[in-house]
Amino acid sequence: MNEIIQTILVFIALGLAVSFMIKKFSWKKPKTKKAFSDAHDCDKCH
Amino acid sequence: MSKQINVALIGNPNTGKTSVFNALTGLNQKVGNYPGITVEKKEGICKLPRGVKAHIIDLPGTYSLNASSLDENVVIELLLNKNDKDFPDVAVVVSDVENLKRNLLLFTQIKDLEIPAILVINMADRMRYKGISLDIPHLEEQLNTKIALVSTRKKNGIVELKELISNYKDLSTTPCMNASEIDREYFDNLRKAFPNQLLYKLWLVITQDVNFGKTDRNEIDAVANFKTKTKADLKRLQQKETIKRYQFINNTLKKGQTIDLNTAKDLRIKLDRILTHKVWGYVIFFVILLTIFQAIYDWSSVPMDFIDSSFVSLSEWTKNGLPEGAFTSLLAEGIIPGLGGIVIFIPQIAFLFLFISVLEESGYMSRVVFLMDRGMRRFGLSGKSIVPLISGTACAIPAIMATRNIENWKERLITILVTPFTTCSARLPVYLIIISLVIPEGRFLGLGYQAMTLMLLYLIGFGAALVSAMILNKILKIKSKTFFVVEMPNYKLPLFKNVVLTVIEKTKAFVFGAGKIILAISIILWFLASYGPGDDFNKAEEIISTEYANQNLTEDEVNEHVASYKLEHSFLGITGRAIEPAIRPLGYDWKIGIALVSSFAAREVFVGTLATIYSVGSDDEETIKNRMAGEVNPILGGPLFTFASGISLLLFYAFAMQCMSTLAIVQRETNSWKWPILQLVIMSGFAYLIALIAFQLLK
Ligand SMILES: Nc1nc2c(ncn2[C@@H]2O[C@H](COP(=O)(O)OP(=O)(O)OP(=O)(O)O)[C@@H](O)[C@H]2O)c(=O)[nH]1
Ligand SMILES: [Mg+2]
Repeated sequence: MNEIIQTILVFIALGLAVSFMIKKFSWKKPKTKKAFSDAHDCDKCH
Repeated sequence: MSKQINVALIGNPNTGKTSVFNALTGLNQKVGNYPGITVEKKEGICKLPRGVKAHIIDLPGTYSLNASSLDENVVIELLLNKNDKDFPDVAVVVSDVENLKRNLLLFTQIKDLEIPAILVINMADRMRYKGISLDIPHLEEQLNTKIALVSTRKKNGIVELKELISNYKDLSTTPCMNASEIDREYFDNLRKAFPNQLLYKLWLVITQDVNFGKTDRNEIDAVANFKTKTKADLKRLQQKETIKRYQFINNTLKKGQTIDLNTAKDLRIKLDRILTHKVWGYVIFFVILLTIFQAIYDWSSVPMDFIDSSFVSLSEWTKNGLPEGAFTSLLAEGIIPGLGGIVIFIPQIAFLFLFISVLEESGYMSRVVFLMDRGMRRFGLSGKSIVPLISGTACAIPAIMATRNIENWKERLITILVTPFTTCSARLPVYLIIISLVIPEGRFLGLGYQAMTLMLLYLIGFGAALVSAMILNKILKIKSKTFFVVEMPNYKLPLFKNVVLTVIEKTKAFVFGAGKIILAISIILWFLASYGPGDDFNKAEEIISTEYANQNLTEDEVNEHVASYKLEHSFLGITGRAIEPAIRPLGYDWKIGIALVSSFAAREVFVGTLATIYSVGSDDEETIKNRMAGEVNPILGGPLFTFASGISLLLFYAFAMQCMSTLAIVQRETNSWKWPILQLVIMSGFAYLIALIAFQLLK
């Protein structure tokens, strides 16, 4: 039982990680930032 | 009334617009002591007396409304377009009390656009040192405006400024100068052709198209009965306008401002004489650099070791404390070591940002610009290019955006293309860890070899930028001319709050930005390293036990062999060994190969990637540094990180274009894929070549 839960958690984490990377590096044109969001100049560096 | 007041902060570069913006809105936008910090429009909200709200817009600095660079153009386009949602109800023109005369030029122009304008005279705290006194009522009368004498540093005058903004309806919109004085006949014709338009605005539209060829405005030419002048004539008229304006300003200041030279303490001249000296200037710069790198090493080794071992304990604790299973090992072997590979660099990164920020705020950075200006021209760059090159030590992305204040397109393009050679903070982790593995700890004349190597790497990056600029300057066939004078800001004692804020902001951005990526990457890597296809992976235990059957290994040793055998045959191991032939000539094994590939997402994940891979592939807990030191070269035996492979890796990172975000920004700023792709291919190809030569020579 425990093992199944652990495996499910692993796959959830994996799914999140992969979708994060895809979202991060799918080339969309960066919009001009507003100071309302506390976006920092260096936010896109990483 | 529910409508917000639109307030635009306009002014010459480096007069403190962003400081005023921060004081009004409570936000923390980047402030720095050299011109050209703000290159984009930034917005915020300010609460005014009597419940009124103001929408504040911080703009890039501009010397006049006759713009010639991209960032200045932002301001003009806003002021010329009444339909823009940000069109100001009131313009707050920020000036610097020490450069009032030059600053007022812009003010009179804005006044002539008949936009209600408030004049902020900032840096009032400096008046005492410079022996400046002002006759404010006289100035208000002459300029037909309200003046707020402000010091954002001492927090004086902000309340008064808010009061003035909320009463903006009382401001007079009478122009300072009659535009037709520039050329009566021409302006008479203009008035006849466009009877309903404001003359000075028309004039700006026309000259703007002359100065700045990208405005797509042909309406003026389209009116048949109006003959516009030749470009040369228009330029001449612009000069005439400037002269007229200065006459007016001189007259105004003659009575409005007195400067007592006896009380002025001119530290600046004395300091400049040394800091920009032909020989001493460079010596001092060099010493400052060395001190910085030495300090980064000396001050951060203790916290770094502490963090490194804390992560080991955390990993151990997780493994022992949580129920055994896949997710527990994901945490203990994937995520925690991966994050550790970023977090251990917080001390160094913070120190680096601290030094950069102090150098910027004190005004020293601009002296470096001046010092380099002569040399830079020889390389096809202008003095302005040094600002991106230096701010690139933090990150290439804001640096590339900072090129927007370079008027000349060719120089701007060259600067954009070479800036990624500057050693950005993301390279620092890789450098630090490799240097600590392969360069001995000794000292020469009190300077550590390790610190000197680090400095050398920074210089190599800078040198690569200059040399490639020179080559590009020869190759690129773009016609252009330069006319640039470096503006020297005044020396200032760095404001503690600004420095601390910058350090915290940047370190946070570094850790969280890189942290998110390494988190995702370490999960993916752990998965790929912990699962594999076929019998080799799944029957690893059997294979190892038969292979070592007659060797009497302890249980620990068997486990160790199983773990590394599994890793070799996992999905990750298979991929890694597929790319291994390409990187073996550089002295790397497949694990480094994987780290090289994953650091295309961001360089700083290199160490975290290795930490994750090593931790999956071994059974006991170790600090990152010890693990790397213990790695064995699979072919040659002996340590993997030797002097040869280490230097080769350092050089590879110095030159390779390993940052997707930078490529995306270059694409945006040059509006073409050609440049980022060329950058990627040439930089990385060159890096490979140099790393290859280095390893083959040194091994
Ligand atoms: N002494 C003193 N310095 C100030 C004051 N206000 C701002 N500064 C300093 O002036 C420098 C420039 O400030 P910024 O707010 O970045 O100026 P800016 O006009 O936004 O500059 P750009 O965006 O580059 O056009 C910084 O070093 C500030 O710390 C003040 O009232 N007194
Ligand atoms: Mg600014």
